[in-house]
Formats: sequence, structure tokens, C-alpha cells
Amino acid sequence: MSVPNEDKMASHAQLSSHFFGDLLDSIIVDVASECHRIARLGLDRNLEEEEEELKLSAQARERVADPNNSGEANSKYVVDIFGQTHPPIASDIFECMNCHRPIMAGRFAPHLEKCMGKGRKARLKGTRSSTAAQNRHSRGSPVSTYPPYPNSTSTNQLSNGTSGVAGEEYSNGTFPES
Amino acid sequence: MKTSINRPPTPDAEEDQDHQPTLQEIINIKMIESGEKERLKELLRERLIECGWRDEMKALCRAFARKKGRNNVTVDDLVQVITPKGRASVPDSVKAELLQRIRTFLTSVSI
Repeated sequence: MSVPNEDKMASHAQLSSHFFGDLLDSIIVDVASECHRIARLGLDRNLEEEEEELKLSAQARERVADPNNSGEANSKYVVDIFGQTHPPIASDIFECMNCHRPIMAGRFAPHLEKCMGKGRKARLKGTRSSTAAQNRHSRGSPVSTYPPYPNSTSTNQLSNGTSGVAGEEYSNGTFPES
Repeated sequence: MKTSINRPPTPDAEEDQDHQPTLQEIINIKMIESGEKERLKELLRERLIECGWRDEMKALCRAFARKKGRNNVTVDDLVQVITPKGRASVPDSVKAELLQRIRTFLTSVSI
């Protein structure tokens, strides 16, 4: 039986639409199934965690922008990235290598100033047995091992007559004993 | 156990024996047997990926899952979420291409 062309076209169109819809539904189910799997397995960058991260980063931003929280000046207890707090003055205690006293780390630099002679009192410390300290503290003149004039007394300012300086005057390879 | 896919009940064998296959069913079988249906489906899938349709649908699903809580989502939920928007947002060119292919097939099997 021959169907007139228009009817044929109409039924073709209807059939085509039907099959197209069929294919599309099938693909929709595929996509839904895949998204379901991703959602259940938490593969999609953890939807809930993302929200928490956004919240935390917003909080952190507020904390930084807050003018009351200038980390260095005001708060004595700044928290670093590992969550540790450090007191503003270092409080470890160790022994000074110069005077062998227990010193707090945060006070070490001022202690050294006094202990090693920037201060007035250190220079007057004549009773200390350390010769190295005294060599360095001879009145401003640089330590010279070769005196310009053998008999010059200016080089021999050290009251206890260190043999090292005096010995150089006779140096011909041997070190005379005093 | 919570079922996430609604399945229609399996038809009894007796009913099928009296059943006259409709034109649609005949064509469907021909499409499947010749492999044309699979080819058409692949073509449609490829076109929909190219034009970003698939990404849009996935975004809808993600938003829905975030709202409902990702462990409460079912496949049926997602199908219902996507279907209206999905059917409406297929680009015209893609639809035209597929319809053309189907019509060609119909002519070739001389309906």
C-alpha cells in the first residue's frame, strides 16, 4: 500500500522525534548516574568541605583585616603557622662562654656588652685571669707581633710582660725563654 | 535498603505472545540490530559534550547534591533534576543533525 508522501514525511518526523527523545533520555540517565557516583563517592572536591574551607578562609581574612589585631605590636602571643606561640623575649637559659654565668637568651646581647667590654666596668676588670681578654683590651692599640723598635717601651705596655711580645725581638727562629 | 532506581515490573511472558509489535518497536529492533542506534547515541553524546551541554547538566547535579547533602542523592532525583532543562537546552544544530541521521535510516529500511 503506497502511503502519500506527506503522510510518510509526517510519520517519519514523528518517528525521528521519538527516537531522538529516546537517545536523549538514555544520555540523560548516563549523566545522572555518573553525577550520582561522583556525589556519593565524594570525588567532586568534597562539596561540603569546600563550603567549610570558604568559611574558614573568610574568617581568616577578617582576622587579618581587623585593625585590633596587628600581630607584632599588640599581641604578645602571636600564633605561627604550626599553631605554636612564642613569648616575645626568648627565655632559654644557657651559659655565657665569657663569664660562665647562666644567662637568659633574650638578655644575651646586653649581657655581652657588659661582659666583653663595651661598657666602662668591663675595662677595669684587671683581676680576670683570661689573657685573651686582656690582649684585646690593651689601650686601644692593635695587637702587633712585630714591634717597630726592639728597645721601644711603647710596645711593652702590658704590665706582666707577656713573653710572646718580648720574645719576638730576638727572633732568629728560636724563642728565648724568659 | 534504599533503592535508588525505580524499575517497572517485569512483564509476564504470557502477555508478550499475543502482542503485535508496533512500527516503533520494529524500527527500534532494526536500529539496535544494525548497530545504528549505538552509533547515533555515540554521535549525540559527542555533540553534547562539545557544546558544553554535559557540563551544564553536571553543574546542575552538583548544585543539587550540595543542597540536598551528597549522601541523600538518588539517581532518580538527578534524572528529574536534569530532564526538563536537558531536553530544552539541546542546541538546534545538534538536534537537526541527529534527526537527519535518523530520517536517513528510516528511509534506508524503507518504512
